[in-house]
Amino acid sequence: MIWQQLQSLAGSYPLALRGLGMTVMLSLISLVLGTLLGFGLGILRTGGNQLISGLIGAWVDLIRGTPFLVQIFLIFFILPEFGIELDAFTAGIIALTNLAACFICEIVVAGIRSVPTGQVEAALASGLSRWQRMRQVVLPQAMRIVLPPLVGQYVLLIKDSSVVSAIGLTDLTRVGWLVVQRVPNGLLVFFLVGVGYFIVCYPLIMLARRLEQRMGAAHGEVQL
Amino acid sequence: MTTTGLAKTGMIDFRGVNKWFGSLNVLKDITLSVEPREVVVVCGPSGSGKSTLIRCVNGLEAIKNGDLVVDGQRLGDPATNMTQLRTEIGFVFQSFNLYPHKTALENVTLAPIHVRKIPRAEAEKAGRELLAKVGLADKVNAYPAQLSGGQQQRVAIARCLGMRPKIMLFDEPTSALDPEMISEVLDVMVAVAEEGMTMMVVTHEMGFARKVAQRVVFMDAGAIVESGTPDEFFSHPKTDRSRAFLSKILRH
Repeated sequence: MIWQQLQSLAGSYPLALRGLGMTVMLSLISLVLGTLLGFGLGILRTGGNQLISGLIGAWVDLIRGTPFLVQIFLIFFILPEFGIELDAFTAGIIALTNLAACFICEIVVAGIRSVPTGQVEAALASGLSRWQRMRQVVLPQAMRIVLPPLVGQYVLLIKDSSVVSAIGLTDLTRVGWLVVQRVPNGLLVFFLVGVGYFIVCYPLIMLARRLEQRMGAAHGEVQL
Repeated sequence: MTTTGLAKTGMIDFRGVNKWFGSLNVLKDITLSVEPREVVVVCGPSGSGKSTLIRCVNGLEAIKNGDLVVDGQRLGDPATNMTQLRTEIGFVFQSFNLYPHKTALENVTLAPIHVRKIPRAEAEKAGRELLAKVGLADKVNAYPAQLSGGQQQRVAIARCLGMRPKIMLFDEPTSALDPEMISEVLDVMVAVAEEGMTMMVVTHEMGFARKVAQRVVFMDAGAIVESGTPDEFFSHPKTDRSRAFLSKILRH
């Protein structure tokens, strides 16, 4: 019985690989875009313009305070009502990027605020421009604080990407749903799905741990 | 703000400057002129506004009213480019504020390379010379965390000198130091003063004041109470408040 199921599962190998590929692709693209956007938003949020800072803060709170599934449905099913038709992959990327950017924005803000005022004053006093202060003095020191939770956020992002199966993308989770219809052993199938996610996430978890150790020991220098 | 009355100006010119923190009048009608190459020591009890006074000079604090003209440029005037003006003013902090992620040399060369646009090789050569001048030729590649307080403060002074400023401001540069490290920092400051730098120094180091200051300004409760040569001020203080202050710092 179990032997038959395993044989049948082995037949689903190409499908599983495709699902894993989709999960990695979705995560990687939105991780890169979300990081860039998140840093941009974080820097703007601490930039001193009350209006911009307030708008970003409100958006971040809104995204952090609503379920990701609802956000994906809004983008995929509600936007077409306003004439914005997106394919599932684009919708998934947009939703994941936005989610990642909002969480990363908060991490970056916390990092920037952790840099002592005296550092900014010293940079200010030597005539560095706003961007030079950020790039040369504040961000490298903020990275110390930011890196470990940032990598942690990547792990969460990869797992959150499973939600995009709800709009029909054949990612690892959806492959699980498809396979389980043929192989009626949910425990086994979703155990394997879990293993798939773990294989992707574990290196990142290890990286986060190593970074935390290294950051503690270093003088605070991080090469951007 | 008026635009007249700029005929005679010192390097740093306070005219009727006021500043408030909320309802607290931290600078009261300050009028003070610092001539080029002059060294002025500012002292007074804590909370008297002396740090705020020099922080106004490079715009770390904004003044409420009155005129403050530095190197011919009026602060708060839209025509004044503060970033540009700040490159002419070195500021030495009580807590050093070295960049912890950069080596001593990188601390010194950062602003010359990025603000003055001096080629890296040239900036590093100048930086090494400056670090040698403050007695830290062997600490060029050390990070701030690997330096003592006195060494850090000397790097901070070299960092200011790297910009070839016209003015240097010192905010209690030796207050955070262990006693045995104070003199190494003061020696560097004396050397800078003797080269003709315009300086405003918030300090209670009377030896330093006597040695290089042309003037001592005594502040209390946000106002300048007394001003005179170091000899006049330390030997013959004119007001009760300055006598009370001196008796306190002399007791130790």
